[in-house]
Order: sequence, then structure tokens, then C-alpha cells
Amino acid sequence: MRESVSGTRGSFGRPRALATTARTTLLLLACLAMAAPFLWMAATSLMGQLEVFSSGGRLLPETPLWSNYPDALTAQPFARYFLNSLVFATAVVAGQVATATTAGYAFARLEFPGRDRIFMLFLATMMVPAVIVLIPRFLMIDALGWIDSYQGLVSTELVSVWGIFLMRQYFRTVPRELEDAARVDGAGPLRIFWSVALPLAKPAVATLALFAFIDAWKNFLWPLLVTRSMEMRVVEVGIAAFHSTYEINWPYQMAAGVVAVLPIALLFLFTQRYFVRGIQLEGIR
Amino acid sequence: MRGRPNPAALRAAATAATGIGLALILGVTAGTVNRVRDEAAGDVGRMAAALWELPGGGEAAVTAFLAERATIEAVRTDGARTGAGAHAYRTGELEPAAWIAVAPGGQGRTWPHLPATLALSGLLLMTAWAVARRRSPPSPRFPTIPALIASLLLAATAVAATGRTHRLLADLTTERATHGARAAEVALAHGADHGQARRAAGLPPAITPAPAATPAPSGTPTPSATPTPSTLTTPSQPVTPSDLLDALPGYEDTRSPAIPLTAAAAASSLATALLLFLLPLSTRPRTLRRTLTAWSFLTPAAVLLLLFTFGPLLFSLWISLHEWHLVDRVHPFTGLDNYLTLTLDGQWWSAILNTAVFTLHVPFAMAVALGLALLTRGSRRAVRWARLALFLPGITSVVAIAVVWKWLLDDGYGLVNRALEGVGIRSVPWLTSPDTALVTLMAISVWMVVGYQMVVFQAGLAAIPRDWYDAARVDGAGPLQRFRHITLPGLRHTLFFVLVTSVIGSFQVFGLVYVMTEGGPLGATDVAVYHIYREAWEFLRFGNAAAMSWVLFAVVFAATWLHFRFLERRWAHA
Repeated sequence: MRESVSGTRGSFGRPRALATTARTTLLLLACLAMAAPFLWMAATSLMGQLEVFSSGGRLLPETPLWSNYPDALTAQPFARYFLNSLVFATAVVAGQVATATTAGYAFARLEFPGRDRIFMLFLATMMVPAVIVLIPRFLMIDALGWIDSYQGLVSTELVSVWGIFLMRQYFRTVPRELEDAARVDGAGPLRIFWSVALPLAKPAVATLALFAFIDAWKNFLWPLLVTRSMEMRVVEVGIAAFHSTYEINWPYQMAAGVVAVLPIALLFLFTQRYFVRGIQLEGIR
Repeated sequence: MRGRPNPAALRAAATAATGIGLALILGVTAGTVNRVRDEAAGDVGRMAAALWELPGGGEAAVTAFLAERATIEAVRTDGARTGAGAHAYRTGELEPAAWIAVAPGGQGRTWPHLPATLALSGLLLMTAWAVARRRSPPSPRFPTIPALIASLLLAATAVAATGRTHRLLADLTTERATHGARAAEVALAHGADHGQARRAAGLPPAITPAPAATPAPSGTPTPSATPTPSTLTTPSQPVTPSDLLDALPGYEDTRSPAIPLTAAAAASSLATALLLFLLPLSTRPRTLRRTLTAWSFLTPAAVLLLLFTFGPLLFSLWISLHEWHLVDRVHPFTGLDNYLTLTLDGQWWSAILNTAVFTLHVPFAMAVALGLALLTRGSRRAVRWARLALFLPGITSVVAIAVVWKWLLDDGYGLVNRALEGVGIRSVPWLTSPDTALVTLMAISVWMVVGYQMVVFQAGLAAIPRDWYDAARVDGAGPLQRFRHITLPGLRHTLFFVLVTSVIGSFQVFGLVYVMTEGGPLGATDVAVYHIYREAWEFLRFGNAAAMSWVLFAVVFAATWLHFRFLERRWAHA
């Protein structure tokens, strides 16, 4: 390919360097445009409540007002919101990994009548907009008396058809020979799944767990519906409620926003490759 | 599972499963009818007790009211009740207290013959089948006919039982209305006022919204001291049976056995089918063992999907055919009314239109994402760093992002407008004008999804063989031609995938709208999911909202189908 960052040593030295510079500049500009709202969020979070309305308008706070963070985070029980989000997301990850690995393995490796038809039926549910099942799910959770509880938040989210699909695709790439060897040694299906197939599928499990965690963390509509009390709110619902309470106190809101964005940003920073793998697995099919 | 399951035992078990289901249906029917008869007798008993407690009431009034059906006894000193087999109602603590025992009503209709006959014949049929084939080996194919017969009979029995029970309960409702009117009449005859008469009939105190509710004949002047329409007035008219029918939900509404009956029929059909499903496998123990193993792996996911996806889909369809308010206990069946109402609901269609317009941001986002993917192509370092910055908007908290953008786009103090004013351009009412709000949301959405799409495109680009480009260059193709003839065709599956998933996703936008505009200004950003959310959780009209969600599904489905129909074919053969 003509592109190469190490750039200038090629025989067409100058034009290529120029192209690279132009490209890098464009890319940097794009990145800046994408990151600007986050930078502005961080900047505002350190400004005074009135400073943000000052006539000149400034990009950076005159003196960083770090006290905004403790003040904003104690104005509403954000620690509790975080705990709830963490419990919710962790339970969803555990549930989705358990259901998706077992079902994915069955669809990939076990033989039974109607397997492919059942798999297609599962896949078909990905076409259905989530809003259709929202009302009946809410009524069911309400009838069970689970509104405003962890089991109400979690129980509907424990299975992900996307996850089953991902795990099935991955298990199909695992070489059969290893499983056959274990079978010759007298291992049963469960044993083979647990000690041969599952360890080999760790990367896919990591991808699934990551996506499940992020999706649960970002989930807004369902927690909005099934939680009522402040004690059961997750971060997303908490920020929305905070926004409607502290309408024009932008520094407080931005501080809360930074705290909500930061964990996910850090998580992404350290787990990028699993993300990319997941998206690429999904995209190429 | 080493032993070979006996086909005869499987057939017997399937028959038993059907039989249990049929018995369950009949049992629930009989139980419901008996319970409601008791309840109805209790309601009549309460009317009698109210008459008993009237100042001018007592035994004479109760006897006048219920000459045939009630036995009245003074309370025995030990408090034990008499009147065995009948519903007994103990009047209040005031002396003279009495037991008024009311015989259950609804005797006009007796034991439900049709469902019982259906159930019995079904059971006989299944038993005959099991007995006749007890010695024959199972055929290798799934026994469709017995399975079909069993589930059809279960369904027919459930439907017949539901209809039968409904008619019986409706009779009890009518009977209660007749008794109520009679009780009010007796109460008036024994010197009660209209309020007391209504109470005796079991009616709530009347809150008549307007004088229209009392179309008083000219002789009865309405009290002129109550000019406000919403005061508590008692209509000075005799209570009629239709008053009770209107004011109180019928037993067939509040005590409908439809859901337990449906559940019993469904569960029993499922169990029968499952057992029959094992029948052809019983001769092949290996296959049977494999099937059972596979299902032990599949069960957690399958059960959860059944409970929280497939079940709710059917339930949602059911809700959409009813007038379903969250707070009401009664949800009258209205057929397709909700859908018909929707066709004339301009606000709903404008929400659909807004959603469709919003979806138009997808091609823009894809163009930007493709450009970025091409920019980062070939350089691992650039790819990695660009990803971090570009990806963040798509994976972090939507609500936090919405709040930031709301602040950035604030009319007076937002950074964007200040910058515009700084360079001498008039500030733009980004979110506060109906003309711009939706476009603003589309732009933010582009910003959010670009990173994700870029990563998918990067993967797609990496899959295009380099040789093609080299060959094209040798043939003298310029960059544009290479893009047009190699990159685009090579990416067509990826482009199609991104287009379809992004369109489906953008039809479901909610968080941005909820936080940033609440559907406003003037409904300009009222998108479908937000509209459904408000219909259900603000106005509590769940039936309408369910119908809307099915219409939305139809729209999404149609859009996807159009994509497949017109784009995939063209792109696949480009």
C-alpha cells in the first residue's frame, strides 16, 4: 500500500510526506472535533456556578474549582447509583455469559433435531424493536411485585441473542480434534464444554462480557421504568434526574457527567482490542 | 439415560399430560364459577345487610328484598353461624345483629356441558390412540396427528370453557344489577333517602359531574346552592339495573379465567408435544441422549427467551387488542380499535415521520465514517489513537452526552452560540426552534455513531485483497477510480450491514430526546419510542402504546425489507 507512517524514506519522498501530513492533520482535527464535547465537559466541571454565565465566556476556569466534584456527588446519592449500576451490570454479564456460552455451544457443537430452525428462531428476535416487549415485560415485573428491585432490573436482561450468536460463531472455529481427544478419554459433554471448549473461547467470552457490561451500564429506558426510589436508581437514571433537578447548575452536572463517563472511558482504554474484535466479528459475518 | 424409554410409556405419559391439562381447565372453570357465585351471594348479602341496618329496615326490609333466597337468623350467643351451604353475611356490630345467609345465584345455567364433552372426548381419543398402538414400534417421524389433535382439543376446551364461564359470570352480573335495583327500591319504601338507597344497592356515592347526570323532571328543583359542577350530589332518581351495570365492573371482567385457562392449555400442549417429540427418538437411544444433552445446555437461554421475549411478544399483541389502562383492573377487549384509532392519530404519524427524518442521518454518518476509515487506513498507530477519540461518544453514557450537548448548544450561554457570536454570526436556536431541533439531534447522532461505523469499515477494508489495488495501479487507475471500482464493491456487504443495523437502531432513539428536548419544541422531535413511552407511562394507555409499538415494528420491518429487496440485490451484483 502506498500509505506508510514511517514516511519520508520512499523514492517519492516529498509528495508522500505531504500526503501523510495532510492526512494526519485531518485526522487530528476529526479527533479534536469528536473529543471537544468531553473536553468542554471537563472544563465546565471545574468552573464556578456563575462563571459559566460570565459575559466574556471562557474556555478554561479561572481557578479550577475541584470542590464541584464532592459537592455534586453528594447532592444526590451518586455512590448508591454507582453501586446499583455495578450490581446491575455485573449480574447481567454473569447471566449473559452463562446463557450465551451454553446455548452457543449447543448450537455450534451438539447435534439435535431442529437445531438450525431453533437457531433461526432465536436470531429472528434480533429484528424485533425492544420497545414492543417493554410494555408486557413491565406488566409482568409489576405483577411479580419486582418493581424497584434488583431482580426486576436484572431478570429480563439475562439472555442476549447477539451473545449466543457470537459464541456459536466462535465455538465453530475451535478445532474439533481437542474435543474428540477428550471424548476418547471418557469425558462427558458437560466436562468437554467446561474444561476444553470454554477455556479455548476465552477471547470471545471477554468480548461478550465487555459488551454486556457496557450495554447494561448504558441502559437507560428499562431502569427508568422499573425503578422508582432514589435508592434503586442506576447512574444513567440518576444523571437524568440530576439534570432535571439542577437545571442550570452546569458545573455540577458536568462534574456528574465526567464521573459517569470516566469508568467506561478507562475500561475502553484497556480493553480496546476486545471491543474491536466484537465489532468486527459482528460486521463481517 | 442409558435405558431405552418404552414407547408405550411415552404414549401413556403424553396422554396423561393432555388429560391433566383438560382436568386443569375444567377444574379452573368450576373453581372460578363457584368462587364467583359465592362472591355474588356475598354482594347480595351486603345489600341485605345494608337494608337490615337502615333505621326503618330490619327483618321486614330484608324479607321484602330477598323473600326466596335468604335465611335470617339472629346471632346465636356463641357467635356460630347457621345456614349451612350458603353464603352467610353477618351484619354489623349494632344490635340487633343477624346472620343473613344468601343462597348462591346463577342457577339458570348448570354444569358446562360443551367443554366437559370436548375434554372427555379428547381424553378418550388420546387413550384410544395410546392403547391401539401400545405394541407397535414408533415411526421414525414426529407423530404430528396426535400432537395436533391433543393441542387442538386443549385449545377448543379452553375457549369453550372461557366462553361458558364468561356467560355464567355475565348472568351473575345481571342478577346483581337486578337485586341492587330491588334493594334500592325496598330501601326507599322503608324510609331511606336516595343516598342510603344507593348504598344499599352497593353503588358508590354518586359524584355527578354536571346536572346532565340528573335530567331532573321539572318538578324536582336542583339545589341552587351548589353551582360548581363537581360537588357531591345524589341523583334523586330511583336506581335502575343499568346504573349498576354501568357503575360496577362485571364479574366476567374482574374474575375472568381467560389467563389461567390459556396458560393451562398452553403448558399442557407443550408438555404433550415434548413427550411425543421423544417418541420417534426412543428407538434411537443415541439421538435421544444427544437431544437431551443439547437441551440441557439450551434450557437456560430458551426458558429466559420464552419468558421474557416470546411470551411478551404474544402478550403485547394481546394488550394491543384491549383498552388497557394501568390503573384499571378491567381491560375490555376492543379488537382492532386501538389500531383504527392510530390511523387517525395525527400526532402519532408525525412521530413516525420525525423518526423517519431522523433516520436520514445514517447515510451522512456512514459517509463520514468511511472517510475516517480511509484516512486511518494502513497506519496502525493512527488507527489505535483515532479509535479512542472517535469511539468514546458511542460507548459512554447517552444521558451524560445529551446533557453536555444541551449545555454546548444552550441558546444564550452555550459554547457554540458564543463562538458564532464571536465571529459575528447570529446565534442559532439549536434546540429551541421547531425548525432546527430535529436536525440538531441528527447531527449529534452522527457524532455518536461515527466511531462504531468506522471500526466496522476498517474491518471491511482490511478484508479487501491488496493485489487488487496493485493490479489496478498497474492498469493505470487513479485513486478515484480505485475507490469507485475496488473499494466500494469490496465493501458492499459491510456497507449493507452497517446501513441496516444503523437504520434499525435509529428507529429506536430515545435517550437523546428524553434528556435534550422531551419531544419538543412543539412536537418537532417527538420520535416513535418517546411517543410510545409517554403514551404508556405518562398517560397510562398501555393498549394504545402496545398497538403503536406493533405499528413501529411494521415500519422497521418494511424498511429492512426494502433495503434487502432493492439494495442488497443491486449491491450484490454490482
